[in-house]
Amino acid sequence: MGHPGEGLLLGMGATRAQSSGPEKIEVFIDDQPVMVPPGTTVLQAAAEAGVEIPRFCYHERLSVAGNCRMCLVEVEKSVKPVAACAMPVMKGWRIKTDSDMTRKAREGVMEFLLINHPLDCPICDQGGECDLQDQSMAFGSDRSRFLDNKRAVEDKNIGPLVKTIMTRCIHCTRCVRFASEVAGVEDLGTTGRGSDMQIGTYVEKMLMSELSGNVIDLCPVGALTSKPYAFTARPWEIRRTDSVDVMDAVGSNIVVNHRTGEVLRILPRTNEEINEEWLSDKSRFACDGLKRQRLVYPMVKDSSGELRPCQWEDALLVAGRALAAAQGSVAAVAGGLADAESLVALKDLVNKLGGEATCTEEIFPEDGSGTDLRSSYLLNTTIAGVEEADLVLLVGTNPRFEAPLFNARLRKAWVHNELDVAVLGPNVNLTYEAEHIGEDPAIIEKLLSGTHPFSQRLKAARRPMVVVGSALLSRPDGGLLYARLQQLAHQLRAGCEGGAEWRVLNVLHRVASQVAALDLGYTPGVSKVRNAPPQVLYLLGADEGAITREDLPADCLVIYQGHHGDRGAEMADVVLPGAAYTEKMATYVNTEGRAQQAQAALVPPGMAREDWKIIRALSEVVGAQLPYDNLAEVRDRLTEVSPNLTRYGDVEEANYFAQASALAQLVKGKQEAAPIDVPQKVLEDFYMTNSVSRASPTMAKCIAAIKKEAANRHRDK
Amino acid sequence: MKVLVAKYDACLRSAVSENKMALRFTWSLLSEIPIARCHRAVSTSAARYVDDLTVKQVEPKSTHKTLMTSEEASHEKAVSGYITIDTPHDITAINGVPEEQLKTRRVLIKIPTKNSMQSGTNNLHRWKISFDEKQRWENPLMGWASTADPLSNTEVSFSSREDAIAFCEKNGWNWITESPPVKPPRVKSYGANFSWNKRTRRSTK
Repeated sequence: MGHPGEGLLLGMGATRAQSSGPEKIEVFIDDQPVMVPPGTTVLQAAAEAGVEIPRFCYHERLSVAGNCRMCLVEVEKSVKPVAACAMPVMKGWRIKTDSDMTRKAREGVMEFLLINHPLDCPICDQGGECDLQDQSMAFGSDRSRFLDNKRAVEDKNIGPLVKTIMTRCIHCTRCVRFASEVAGVEDLGTTGRGSDMQIGTYVEKMLMSELSGNVIDLCPVGALTSKPYAFTARPWEIRRTDSVDVMDAVGSNIVVNHRTGEVLRILPRTNEEINEEWLSDKSRFACDGLKRQRLVYPMVKDSSGELRPCQWEDALLVAGRALAAAQGSVAAVAGGLADAESLVALKDLVNKLGGEATCTEEIFPEDGSGTDLRSSYLLNTTIAGVEEADLVLLVGTNPRFEAPLFNARLRKAWVHNELDVAVLGPNVNLTYEAEHIGEDPAIIEKLLSGTHPFSQRLKAARRPMVVVGSALLSRPDGGLLYARLQQLAHQLRAGCEGGAEWRVLNVLHRVASQVAALDLGYTPGVSKVRNAPPQVLYLLGADEGAITREDLPADCLVIYQGHHGDRGAEMADVVLPGAAYTEKMATYVNTEGRAQQAQAALVPPGMAREDWKIIRALSEVVGAQLPYDNLAEVRDRLTEVSPNLTRYGDVEEANYFAQASALAQLVKGKQEAAPIDVPQKVLEDFYMTNSVSRASPTMAKCIAAIKKEAANRHRDK
Repeated sequence: MKVLVAKYDACLRSAVSENKMALRFTWSLLSEIPIARCHRAVSTSAARYVDDLTVKQVEPKSTHKTLMTSEEASHEKAVSGYITIDTPHDITAINGVPEEQLKTRRVLIKIPTKNSMQSGTNNLHRWKISFDEKQRWENPLMGWASTADPLSNTEVSFSSREDAIAFCEKNGWNWITESPPVKPPRVKSYGANFSWNKRTRRSTK
């Protein structure tokens, strides 16, 4: 990652840091001198001087196209205006961004763009946040000279997420470039020339990408808009709350757009270290699941075995009495969407009652150093660190669907930094070329001993990364395989360029709560509960069915606290309605170990309450009052347990790889013969992975569309 | 509290004395103007005590001041003007905001988030304060968005983070602040689209 102020760097290593940059050159933007590195474009130099040049096709995260011509500016002594987005500056250039020639050029371009643009702004979803609207107001002419008929283009059907109104398209090709460069699906393109030019898929087919929603943001006009959000709201009537996504363990930064107590849409928020400016489709479109299948009142099972709605007092009394009567035979299982505040409150409550088993649904091996050392369960090189790596070995993971934005980062490095990627596991399509070295778990042992052909490549790499998927870790022999990978990573570390600074070992989690839970001392996996079934089992949003009714004795009381009526609530005797991630101020820790705050955009629906408050209230009913009364005090408690949990936005570095590796050597076990597998192999498996996305009609439509797409004869099989 | 009241008192008093100063200033100015141009029809001041502006007038003595003992007068002189206090500027005691609103609310100070749907950035060069979200609902009669929280629609912009913090401190709000995202330098090259040996070569256009 380059550091701000270091200046732009030459060469294709987009962000690879180099300390000594080339000599800067001086240019003048509107007579204001600016020093920029050579190779800087006119547009970037102007931005440096605080002048924003209008643009449609240029986007800082896509390749330069230079086809909209909106960024034309005058350069002194140049006969013609130059396209600022594509032209590198020369020494001493005097660029005029507001001269007569520049203004005339912009007005001319604007007039041509508007010739074929329909005048349907009043019914257009982009209205109010449209670059074409903005720029025609600022730079366009006040009248039209065009008297012919306007062009009309047939709309394309590219799936259930992106709505196309192709007549509005101004051919900036941002969507085409996004699809082929960032998403890695070469489905979109242009056909025809001149006024017959069209953007589309040529034959009707779906845009099959887990990042397809981003083309909606990229489209500077209303040609590509959101299908689920169509005709829902105007941008000026929306309230926006910055928050954090929990659909995967990446912790993408989002802006929750809401009105009248309802989430209308979710947009990405720029965070260079995590999601850049992108968002995966699940994070963006699963928000309609927040309105369905919600638990809105407390429920208690009656004598006929049916859950009946009741008051909070009743539910808390039933739960409290059972907890008090259990005499310490209490266990808790936390699901993938739990926040750090409720996790610490629940752990404190269970421990206070004498219980020891606080588990997470997601499994992590406990062999060797287990979860004792933070470095063993984090993505240590960080997501942005991928751009410094030169070889990535993915073991038992499909990042494309487990963490789409991590995969987008891998693809970015693959394109710009010549990163090589190798896959140990099923040969899935990662959207970039990856060397498949096999599915046999025995290869790990071979890599460690250096007898595998790929070992040479690993040894030769200057900054290698080993990324271990949580699917591999949940295998019966996951502990053994992980121990060997720890040893391998430590071995590779010796020959690394960055020395101790470069951390080779990475774990890619799938759920948002896992790292916080492990930081707080939860036991990964539910085997503890299964081996010693408790009298009262407390499920905190545990919906993945890691533990079922069959695993528990008949007299075990199950308390479920969560926001969706899913598998957990189904098996519960007492249901306590909690808040979803858009409804509470909460802490989530992503797979890098970066703590981030989700802000409450709404209040929980019905009688539902914030999760830590429910546990705090219950603790008082049981008679084991927890010592915190407000959010600040809960966060003090979090800080007490693990200070990194409240250092928002920062990644706390984790170390002790040598010790972990030494302990890993002691791990013995039997290696299974079953090949390494991942649960999410195709796009269909991506959409429904947690209680929110399972309740989302949009996600269901995506899956249905993909099933239908299988019959499309135009699709490459 | 006591300090604040005293200060408030002092402020009032100084405002009164300033008013008198202004009055005197007007007279002295007018006395410079030739009498012909200073006809009664041309009124330059709302307060007019004398008819003949060329004659120097004695300021009417206030009964309050006349009746004061010398001790009272010296005391009054001592408390007039501004008082400098060490405690930070805080108006919570007199602004009448309910304590519940002060203690439970939290203000977020940040530069507005860029809307990812748009490329313009001109409205991001300011620091904004925003309150934590309270319940909002759709009004059943008209379908309007309703709220019971008067602070939720507060929109105040500042030119710097320090100004925003000072404003929150003055109003007694708990605040947190978020730094704007840093923009790493990037290399943009049109030529990369046509590179022969790099993966940046584009198949589509």
